[in-house]
Amino acid sequence: MPRWFARTPSGDPKSRSHLRVGIPRLLNVWSTHQFWWGFLTALGIEGEAIVFSSDTSEDQNRQFGKGRGTVDCCYPVKCGAGHYGELVFGQKRKIDIFFSPMIYTLPSFLRGHVAETLSCPRVMAGPENIKAGFIKEKDVFAENGIRYVSPLVSLGEPLIVPKQLYETLKDVLPGLTLEETRRAVHEGYQTLQDFNERLRAKGREVLEACAREDKPCLLVLARPYHMDPGIGHEIEVDLQVYGYPILWVQYFPVDPDLLGWMFGEDIRAGIVKSPFDISDVWPSSYSSNTNEILWGAKVAARVPWIACVIRLSSYECGMDQPTYTPIQQIVERSGTLFFSFQDLDSTKPAGSVKIRVETIAHYLEKYSTEIIEKKKASMPPGCPLLRDP
Amino acid sequence: MATATLQPYRAYSPKPFTKDERGQVTILFGGLHWRAERVLQAVLENLGYRAQVLPVATKEDLLRGREVADIGQCCPTSFTTGNLVNFLRSEAERIGKEEVVRKYVYFTAGSCGACRFGQYHQSYELALRNTGMEAFRMFLMAQNQLDQGAAIGDGLEINLPFTLGAAWAVLCTDVLQNLEYQVRPYEVIPGQTDQVVKESVEYLCEVFRNRPLRGKKWGSLLWHLTTGYFTKALREVHRKFAAVEVDRLRAKPIVKITGEFYLQTVEGDPNHNIHRWLESEGAEIYPAAIAVWLDYLMRLAIQDIEEYVGIDRRARLKVAALKTLQRVYRWQYDRLRHALGGQPPALPDQYELRRLAAPYFHHRLSGGEGDMLVGKALWAYHHKKAHMTCELSPYSCMPNTMSIGAMAGVVGKYPDLLYAPLEIKGDAEVHALSRCQMILTEAKKRAQKEYEEVLERTGLTAERVRGYLDAHPEMKKATYRVRRDGVVGTAANLVLDVARRGGGR
Repeated sequence: MPRWFARTPSGDPKSRSHLRVGIPRLLNVWSTHQFWWGFLTALGIEGEAIVFSSDTSEDQNRQFGKGRGTVDCCYPVKCGAGHYGELVFGQKRKIDIFFSPMIYTLPSFLRGHVAETLSCPRVMAGPENIKAGFIKEKDVFAENGIRYVSPLVSLGEPLIVPKQLYETLKDVLPGLTLEETRRAVHEGYQTLQDFNERLRAKGREVLEACAREDKPCLLVLARPYHMDPGIGHEIEVDLQVYGYPILWVQYFPVDPDLLGWMFGEDIRAGIVKSPFDISDVWPSSYSSNTNEILWGAKVAARVPWIACVIRLSSYECGMDQPTYTPIQQIVERSGTLFFSFQDLDSTKPAGSVKIRVETIAHYLEKYSTEIIEKKKASMPPGCPLLRDP
Repeated sequence: MATATLQPYRAYSPKPFTKDERGQVTILFGGLHWRAERVLQAVLENLGYRAQVLPVATKEDLLRGREVADIGQCCPTSFTTGNLVNFLRSEAERIGKEEVVRKYVYFTAGSCGACRFGQYHQSYELALRNTGMEAFRMFLMAQNQLDQGAAIGDGLEINLPFTLGAAWAVLCTDVLQNLEYQVRPYEVIPGQTDQVVKESVEYLCEVFRNRPLRGKKWGSLLWHLTTGYFTKALREVHRKFAAVEVDRLRAKPIVKITGEFYLQTVEGDPNHNIHRWLESEGAEIYPAAIAVWLDYLMRLAIQDIEEYVGIDRRARLKVAALKTLQRVYRWQYDRLRHALGGQPPALPDQYELRRLAAPYFHHRLSGGEGDMLVGKALWAYHHKKAHMTCELSPYSCMPNTMSIGAMAGVVGKYPDLLYAPLEIKGDAEVHALSRCQMILTEAKKRAQKEYEEVLERTGLTAERVRGYLDAHPEMKKATYRVRRDGVVGTAANLVLDVARRGGGR
């Protein structure tokens, strides 16, 4: 019914196809980019006209972000000046809209089982902070004919997302209506879900292969933006070279059979209420990425073939800091190897990473069989990863 | 490399604090300014609890906090964890660990926001474990619930009499603190203001210790909203201040204190004693009222619900109800400040702060003080409330660094806004204070220039104004309210006040 009475877009969505939209490949865009892709293409923006900035690099910062920093903080936020500068100054074809969402809450798979799924305060406010470096002397966006758009979006609360995005975009996209925004938001969530499910299915395949062959794999516990080669420095890639499959907590399979096997006993004992409940280890479960990392630690402690956990954390990460001890404890008490790369910054400490990667590979080679056996013995029978497909 | 399996890790879960223990167990708390802490202690005693304020945190506490908890934690947490641990250690030496664990519980504010502040149960837990006091009971209280029942055992009932008592204690000591900071820089007899404040706080403690209890729900609420009990007490405090003689013709810059909640509130080592230091450097302080924070919490709740207007049918009603509550709260604050002769200023309008900050910082960005730091700096600037703003930002404070970054855009647009963001980390005091001093020097020049311009504009001289004041001794009392009229400084406003009265001609 509301659709019948909705205002028809005065402008054909096709009229938006000429617009080029630049999105900084930054912070929680790393875990929500598929939403933005689905959303913007549903609004008539051509896929080729959605431009993401490059992976973070020191060169990017030198070339485009120099002199634009406003405050000293963690590198994942600070490097934003380079991303912003690249989209403004470094495009062969100029962008029309600079789209930098302030993501307030995240659509985490833990939502409903934890207290909240908020972004880190620095991450959610990052765009305001980085923008200040581009307007403090003169408005660089306006000077370059670029419309700066930075909606605050509660992606963890789908009901209010259309309203939030419509309010920001109605003056930017010709003929946009609330109803059209709703449909585009739905499309965005669908695209994100499809992508996540594809990667989780791939993760399950990896785990099943490890279980079948009794071989170890590694789980990375980190924030989504540590997937950025300039932030996480591809430490997990260096480990993969040794032949160990790598899984990221963000894309760990969440199939009911697997979760039931891992957490069934705890649920029956009343320790947790559901497989996604982390209150037994982390009562103040407000931060979305923190929650997922804690949950990942619990998973790693239970899956026998995860023989090693790699923890990545950036220098001055205030959200990670209180979790150092519990995560290490959760993982190590299960007998799983735990290695932490803390204080990651702009420069890759290649030498020390190499030595540590060699150490990790050595320990895996020496202990992984024993670890897998001990963990298998401590878990209930009937692991669904071992069932015939 | 250990590969043995151990018992699974479990989060800290203290044994409940029960009603039966009330007579023997002392509640420890702290983290505010001393006036509020003392009166809060009286509120707890009024309700039948044993309560004790932790000593003001010191640099030794900072070092202890860094030693027993994670080194990467923000500066206020190092101070507060170290403060608790040092207190417990000294008590353990005196009466033994088992007795400390039995005798004390610690209550502190929790958080439901984005800032890691809400996750610091982990740091406290680590500190307690590293001190060998895992069994010590520590509880976090939510800041956004008036009535939390007995979620942490029935030992401390966070019900309306408790919450309202605490709120009124904060409001009364806020207005008292504001008056104190208006008076001390101009006192004629050094130390007289401190003496009056000390007497006033002790008097307020008595008032709150004898607060009548009117039931646990609506009766209590109604009584607090309508009673003249607290305004009468503050009028008595006002009378005490009348004894202080002031010389307001000294041109001093007004420095508005903003920043992270703990650092802007405490007075001591955690913020390099910045209030006293600024006064000793010749400034008048515009302190940060805790009441503004409570007002902001209400705005946050309203903003959350506003998002659902048009989606949830009850959202408009909830917004209206909360806005009414906010208006009632501000009215109560006004009642209390008027009992002090109207000298403490009104609370800044939260929606104006939001509007002012909007081009630089989104109002929904939460954690820390959100958009308030940007909003307050602009508010003080536009409304001529202060010559400069000194923002106290803890080392590695996550939300604070974001608003400081956003302030780059504000200062770009308003280059004459004097803004001194100080990173406070306990050590490096000289750096922080010298940075502040640079901005303060400019603020002093402005205050002096403004004073001279007002004299010139009114055709008065300092001697003639002084002569008029001598002839009107009521204007030399601390309780005389100088009308504020288009200029910032107290001395300049006093000259305008005298001119308006036709004085000195």
